[in-house]
Amino acid sequence: MADSTLPIGGAIDLTPQSEVYGTWLEQVHDWVVTADHKKIGLMYMAYALIFLLVGGVEAILLRIQLAVPHNNFLSPEVFNRIFTMHGTTMVFLMGMPLIIGFGNYLVPLMIGARDMAFPRLNAFSFWMTSLGGLFLYYSFIGGVGLQGAGSAPDVTWWAYAPLTERAFSRGHSTDYWALALIISGFGTIGAAVNIIATTLCMRCKGMTLFRMPLLVWLNLVVAGMILITISPLTAAQIMLVIDRYLGGHFFDSQAGGSPVVWNHFFWIFGHPEVYVLVLPAFAIANEIIPVFSRKAIFGYPAMVAASVGIGLISLSVWAHHMFTVGMNSASNAFFVLSTGMVGVPTGIKIFNWLATMWGGKIRFATPMLFCNAFLIQFLFAGLTGIMLSVAPWNWQLHNSYFVVAHFHYVLVGAIVFCFPGGFYYWYPKMTGRMLDERLGKWHFWLFVVGFHMTFDFMHVPGLLGMPRSIYTYEPGRGWDGWNMIVSIGGAVQAVATLIFVYNLVHSYFKGAEAGPDPWDAWTLEWTTTSPPPAYNFASEPVVSSRRPLWDLKHPEDPDSRYE
Amino acid sequence: MSTSTIPLAHGAADHDWVLPDRGTVAMLSLIVAETAIFGIFVVAYVYYIGKSISGPLPRQVLELPIFNTVCLLSSSLTIWMAERALKKGAMGSFSLWWALTVILGGIFLGGTAREWKKLIYHDGLTISTNLFGTTFYSLVGLHASHVIVGLTMLSIVLIFALTGKLKSEHSRQVEVLSLYWHFVDAVWVAVFTVVYIIGR
Amino acid sequence: MDDPHENPGVSKEIVELPAPTAWPLVLALGLTFTLAGLVTNPGMSILGGVLVLAGCVGWFREVLPHQHHLAVPVKVQKLEFTTIRTKIARIQVDESHRARLPVHTPSVTAGVKGGIAGGAAMIVPALLYGLIRYHSIWYAVNLLGGAGVAGWSNPTAAELTHFRLSALIFATIIHVAGSLLVGLLYGAMLPMLPRHPILLGGIIAPLLWTGVLHATLGLINPFLDERIDWWWFVASQVTFGLVAGWVVAQQTHIYTEQFLPFAARMGLETPGLMEEHDREDGPK
Repeated sequence: MADSTLPIGGAIDLTPQSEVYGTWLEQVHDWVVTADHKKIGLMYMAYALIFLLVGGVEAILLRIQLAVPHNNFLSPEVFNRIFTMHGTTMVFLMGMPLIIGFGNYLVPLMIGARDMAFPRLNAFSFWMTSLGGLFLYYSFIGGVGLQGAGSAPDVTWWAYAPLTERAFSRGHSTDYWALALIISGFGTIGAAVNIIATTLCMRCKGMTLFRMPLLVWLNLVVAGMILITISPLTAAQIMLVIDRYLGGHFFDSQAGGSPVVWNHFFWIFGHPEVYVLVLPAFAIANEIIPVFSRKAIFGYPAMVAASVGIGLISLSVWAHHMFTVGMNSASNAFFVLSTGMVGVPTGIKIFNWLATMWGGKIRFATPMLFCNAFLIQFLFAGLTGIMLSVAPWNWQLHNSYFVVAHFHYVLVGAIVFCFPGGFYYWYPKMTGRMLDERLGKWHFWLFVVGFHMTFDFMHVPGLLGMPRSIYTYEPGRGWDGWNMIVSIGGAVQAVATLIFVYNLVHSYFKGAEAGPDPWDAWTLEWTTTSPPPAYNFASEPVVSSRRPLWDLKHPEDPDSRYE
Repeated sequence: MSTSTIPLAHGAADHDWVLPDRGTVAMLSLIVAETAIFGIFVVAYVYYIGKSISGPLPRQVLELPIFNTVCLLSSSLTIWMAERALKKGAMGSFSLWWALTVILGGIFLGGTAREWKKLIYHDGLTISTNLFGTTFYSLVGLHASHVIVGLTMLSIVLIFALTGKLKSEHSRQVEVLSLYWHFVDAVWVAVFTVVYIIGR
Repeated sequence: MDDPHENPGVSKEIVELPAPTAWPLVLALGLTFTLAGLVTNPGMSILGGVLVLAGCVGWFREVLPHQHHLAVPVKVQKLEFTTIRTKIARIQVDESHRARLPVHTPSVTAGVKGGIAGGAAMIVPALLYGLIRYHSIWYAVNLLGGAGVAGWSNPTAAELTHFRLSALIFATIIHVAGSLLVGLLYGAMLPMLPRHPILLGGIIAPLLWTGVLHATLGLINPFLDERIDWWWFVASQVTFGLVAGWVVAQQTHIYTEQFLPFAARMGLETPGLMEEHDREDGPK
């Protein structure tokens, strides 16, 4: 569009901001019946943050138990429940709502739409997801475990068969797990359908696919992946429910069923799920790094291609979770190679982020700090990932704390860094007030220190042979000191997270006024007020480049001249 | 009052801004997700062929549901004819084709019910009998439940068509619904191949 | 809906938003209760079923025959911008500074050519080594390809000097693939390096990877390790590096930030930094 007419036109929204608030009850009613993508997005995020705290408390309980050998802080049964719930919570009740919440809030704003394609389906998806989570946690009271008392699921979050069959898991705790995931799975699929329809059908004039912000692209890829990964999980859960309720034999080895089939079905979901969680983290880095480097993103088409590539390749790597199951050597070789291949598009992304920063005028505000830490940590996590993808190495270390350290490095090092970065970046847009920068720096540095104390040193007991999921261990195996360090690191992370939560609440009332565009950014969401009105844009925007706001701010030198 | 600014028209971007229809996109996405679900069940079925420890085996009890299959597949044709009629605004012929679709779907469902009744009461095959029973009832049942959902929606449309509330401006929604029905038919082709041809 | 009595350019418009609705929540609650009945009380499932039915009907009436909308009036003023930002003295580099978006990509063909040339040149010292030391050109070939030949363990030096078709095939595959991949890497990296591409790519890089190989091969494949003469090995690697590096350096040249003056790279924004350019602009 090198020949677009200049100067660029704009519009000012003169509508008086409606500050009419009813009683407390009416406000709650407003939120409950809303079909506004921003309110639903915020509810998703709040829900995810609550479960981040819940899952965090569970992690702390686990670390207290493991800090010293022969500890009796938790009983073995409670330990099993807590680590099952920690995994399930962090993946399904924290991770998924968080990514969908950000997608919900930002995608329509970034493509210049007034709402999602299906606002009511959007509300439905949120309520399904949230009710699924509440239902799962109700199992603590209503689960009816072995002794007839309430109990939560205790079959680990990957729930390997045949441990989940009726004969080995009596009572209803496993049913709670399966049913809750089916419920929230429907919500997730609904949200994914909605995001795809929104990005493809609701773009404002001029917003061609290759002008969409990368965050939107990545959300599109993630939504596509959700369709083909959450569905197999739902199917497998339905099979499990059939086994448990109707006496089916899908995973019942006594009747010829195969537990390995569950392994395959679970990891067909389970590995792409890692990318479903981590691509939205990339998406946030894609928006923050250019703005804080004052440069356009390096290699936009390569970034899009790499995202799609990650999405496709990640569908064919699942069995690297199963090298120790005993597959034939051809399968082993295939999954080693395909897993190695994921490193290629991921590497392209890391180089592109570095190239974006190179020569830029970098502002080390809190969002940028989080993204920079993410870059380094994700590189390390990728390296241990390549180590684990090599079958012989994997045979040595599978199900050890090395694996636990690796995937926490990926998930915490990427998601729990990028998403707080995203909060610091978009909180002004969501609430109209800046998050406190000083508290943000405290949050960041404490979290970095805590993260590295925990997860760097967690690799060591893994290499020394400490298996995962154990309730306690004997002294004198060389694991004692390391576990203590890991637990202390966990406490530091907890303090950092509490600072973050305090900051979120404090800044809502006391934060500095943000104005529409506090970061001098370039994407469409910064063209509207903070917080945006219910209709997002008073008149529908028209864009002619990837950085519409740059064009508006620099009519003498717009991007549209170069694209 | 806000002072934020929104980028506006350039003139150059005004020409034909056409985006795909959101209903169709959403239905296609849903079909992708459903395909994944069916895919998992089909894989489980294929993997467990011949792995049952006790009888009855598929060869002993399954009969080819040729008539059923013809009914269901031809309903794809009739729903397409109905759509065409709706676009032309010929409401009478639309109702006729649409009703025929519902009837054909109903015949299929009835056939499945008869087949299951025979399997359960005559052959003693239930979902908990053996692996064949487990995989057969869940795969065919999953498909049948989709037929039920589809038939319910088709019947609702039929009621609206007969009471005259359905107009040709609703043809887009009807098209989306027929997309779903085509998918249900296509899945049956896969299920039929796997269960009655490969698995028997 | 232009209103002539308002300020010029201000227009009132109506935005249609989806009306708030509770039916999705009812439907979600219904589905959850239906499934919850499986683990609690069948009564829950019945209640859930009722809610599902109510939710479906309510939702249906919400969207058909017409979607319920909420009309929100907005006032919009149209604007034309010249610029909305205070101008600062920007760094003046040259006319196309902004145009130097990172659009140049290293050329693939240069890398392929470099790989082919380097791979071809590397054969010479490798074969020379076999000829001089063992009087057979097949020695180096067998050493490289032998790893891929099944069931050929611990061959003697005499065996290694004889022609073996399978070893030749494997050696060719390994050599061609390796040369091409390293050539592509060179094609991607060397044009970006500020200076001395041939020193870096031709000598330092081969020395580095030879060092890594030398240090680790004893662990990975001790048999291969003791058969390798490392000085000859270095010679052939450096031959590859020099030829491939030279070919790549001849082919492409990418203009990077590295070619800007040091002060500009440090991000200084001072008038007078680029003197010749300021002079063109006239007196300040």
